[in-house]
Amino acid sequence: MNISCKELEHMQKSGDSIIVIDTREKELIENYPLKNLKSGSTILEKLEPENIKDETVLVCQFGILTQQWIEANDLDHVHNLIGGAQAWNEFQKSRRDLSRYSRQMALTEIGPEGQEKLLSSKVAIVGMGGLGCPAAQYLTAAGVGYLSLIDGDEVDITNLQRQPLYSSADVGLKKTDAATEVLSPLNPDVHIKSVPEFISEDNAVRLLAESDIIIDATDRFTARQILDAHSKQFGIPLVYGGLFQFEGQVSVFNLNGGPSYADVFPENSEEGGTCADAGVTGMLPGIIGNIQALEAVKILLGIEPNLSGTLLIYNGLTHNSEKVSLS
Amino acid sequence: MSDTITIRVKCFSHVKQALKKDELALSIPKGSSTDVVINAVLDMAGGKLNAIKMRVAVNHSYEPEPIMLKEGDEVALIPPVQGG
Repeated sequence: MNISCKELEHMQKSGDSIIVIDTREKELIENYPLKNLKSGSTILEKLEPENIKDETVLVCQFGILTQQWIEANDLDHVHNLIGGAQAWNEFQKSRRDLSRYSRQMALTEIGPEGQEKLLSSKVAIVGMGGLGCPAAQYLTAAGVGYLSLIDGDEVDITNLQRQPLYSSADVGLKKTDAATEVLSPLNPDVHIKSVPEFISEDNAVRLLAESDIIIDATDRFTARQILDAHSKQFGIPLVYGGLFQFEGQVSVFNLNGGPSYADVFPENSEEGGTCADAGVTGMLPGIIGNIQALEAVKILLGIEPNLSGTLLIYNGLTHNSEKVSLS
Repeated sequence: MSDTITIRVKCFSHVKQALKKDELALSIPKGSSTDVVINAVLDMAGGKLNAIKMRVAVNHSYEPEPIMLKEGDEVALIPPVQGG
């Protein structure tokens, strides 16, 4: 039995006990997730016709394969979503209430067109610590459509003072999972992907290549260098942030052939200088992570000026800012 | 005429921590390059900055190679930072 997106939405809202099964391949589900629709996933080849319950809705990309499968198995009680995931996401787009973005759309630099662009943009946030938390929170609120949170770390009690996405109950959980739990309900327009892996030479291509922007919220030189190299290789701008005690640095690297991190900091420093070694307040990463989020939005929308070719150094004690020209 | 020039040094992150100063004035021989400033600061830090590969900006402009300084120049010493 075919059902329309509107009928599915009605069933969903009226509290009917429907089961939605996304039958697409894992990669397609990850890259083109069903917006605002809770679903399980099993590919068609693995579905057992005799075990499919009433009020089940099958979804494929265009609604054709599932229709054929239902007809072939003579399952009158199983629904096929007409137009599939493609139609559902278009339907969700048309249903979207953009008024939540009205204050930022009032800016001539953003407007409704800019908001639509943000909603279709993909940002990878690498590192979900002091910088990643505020960046992720504000990009979610701003309606950046696809956020990939990348970090293999777990929440530690010493993180809580400066990473306020996490609560005491999250200690021991993967940071990306805990953050996804908090951020997903914040804005249903945004698809949050939890990637509990540390960035490395081995996974960088897989995790970064689809992004429009990479946010460097890491806390190791080696990770920064991996991000910089792949950002340059793929032509994906890198929004860099770094901290030392009361001081924060921000810049945008590899934007339209602009300077890279390696151009400015070509060698590893032997010294420590992680937040654990050097000490840090919670507020400084809050400020710096938000500047990174702001730069990301500006670059996605082509708003100038931005921090490409400039290193901003912010002093949290004096509130002085130094801007160093890198060009 | 004096054989020295006075420049202003702005200290960031590890440099600020080691010297306990945001900035200082430094008299150096005429014709000195930024390397002279770095070496003077390394001496003042008494070994605390030996492992730091600091970057240099002169008058708010990044200088990847040593350059000649003149009276009144402002030299910023910027170590890489890794905290996040």
